[in-house]
Amino acid sequence: MRSAWVVMKRELASFFVSPLAYVVLTSWLIFSGITFWILSEFYARNAVASGADTPLSGFFGGSALFFIPLLVFVPVLTMRLVAGERQAGTLEGLMTAPISEASIIWGKYGAALVMWATLWVPTIVYAWIMGQYGSVDWGAVASSYFGVFCLGAYFMAVGLLMSTVAPTQIIAAVLSFVALGVLFAMGVGEFVLDGTLREVCAYLSMWGHMHSFSKGVVDSRYLVFDFSVALLAVGLSIAVLKAGRHA
Amino acid sequence: MPTVASADRIDYPGRPTRAPVIEVDALSKRYGSRLAVNEVSFRVEQGEIVGFLGPNGAGKTTTLRMLTGYLAPTGGKIQIDGIDAVGNSIQARARLGYMPEGVPLYRDMRVYEYLRHRASLKRVPEVGAAVDRTLELAGVADAKNRIVGQLSKGYRQRVALAEALIADPPLLVLDEPTSGLDPNQVRQFRELVRGFGGAKTVFLSTHILSEVQAVCDRVIIIREGRKVADLTLDETTELENMFAELTTGNASEGGS
Repeated sequence: MRSAWVVMKRELASFFVSPLAYVVLTSWLIFSGITFWILSEFYARNAVASGADTPLSGFFGGSALFFIPLLVFVPVLTMRLVAGERQAGTLEGLMTAPISEASIIWGKYGAALVMWATLWVPTIVYAWIMGQYGSVDWGAVASSYFGVFCLGAYFMAVGLLMSTVAPTQIIAAVLSFVALGVLFAMGVGEFVLDGTLREVCAYLSMWGHMHSFSKGVVDSRYLVFDFSVALLAVGLSIAVLKAGRHA
Repeated sequence: MPTVASADRIDYPGRPTRAPVIEVDALSKRYGSRLAVNEVSFRVEQGEIVGFLGPNGAGKTTTLRMLTGYLAPTGGKIQIDGIDAVGNSIQARARLGYMPEGVPLYRDMRVYEYLRHRASLKRVPEVGAAVDRTLELAGVADAKNRIVGQLSKGYRQRVALAEALIADPPLLVLDEPTSGLDPNQVRQFRELVRGFGGAKTVFLSTHILSEVQAVCDRVIIIREGRKVADLTLDETTELENMFAELTTGNASEGGS
């Protein structure tokens, strides 16, 4: 695991000196800032209609605006992880170093989780702002961030897998976008389907997932889903990298 | 005239009798229906500088990629310093330094950062000392604070060589190490490799005949994935004629 740590450190160093990091972080903050402002405006005007919802629970769990930028930014953040190395030819140096494929992939995945966390840390300001003007359910805020982290664990693993499979970064980004887009769209099935399919869609729904966490409800079914998808995607990435030697 | 040694057994009088640094037995690699490397066998003894020669597309890079563990062979055996490189790839990889073709490096890092990173990956015990030593050895100490992507080709090549040397491995595998260098840099590089003189084993691929003549003790020639010659060089070796003879015309003529 020491090698994974070396891989992770390099990945993060390279990420934070790249213009990409700042373009993504700035765009995300603009987007989430606007979302938060729209929600605050809405709840301020419709205090009665909003019921138990608050701008914060709306931000984390009630709004499609939350997911739309993520469906774009996750592929952008993860596309370079392995495909970037493959394109630059540096994968050869990495795979001829005396380290295992698992170390490479876990290192990359660790870096991806840190990138994800970096997206979210600045949004704590929104909770602080709400705290200045009203009462904030800090338990629900904590479970929202926990939910965000679990969702990220699964998003970033899917992105990593696509980056490992794809020959180029652009293809990796498109594949992750499609994969996450399909998973997101399945959540909509909850509202249009019946019976077992409806249950399946509800289980897969990112929306339902964040909705539950934003209310302070930590549903273990979602945790099982997130971590099993994450582990599966990381395991497949390792297998794909190994299989590449037999190409 | 030099003698073409047999594929399986080469005797070097006066050499210490320890395990060969590279021992390759019936190595093959298939890409789909194309056999890129076809039952190649050879041995490289400790301290030898061996040139791996062949026309473009003969299977040189594929063979080197199998030696260094980047690709798994379709068939055959590889031993690096006595370690089975197919079954114990990680341990075998720790015994060698590799300079891939086209020297792909992380362009966003500074030279010393890059070397520090690679030294940690290779579990070098004293990273700082190792980086200083190899910077000096490869002649890039003056560029240590520069960003890799902004270096000239010659410097990048030397950074890659420093990287190959960082863990002080017994074996260096170099894929076309002088392509793209100017004549002075080529001369410096050759002096450096000659300077290893017995301390390190060097296996380098090239298609530049004068390079082989200048630095190598021995040459292995492949053509269309098959070994066609394995011979010790001396001043009288007419490599150019021999290479032309062995690598043109009917492939089956030059048996191994």
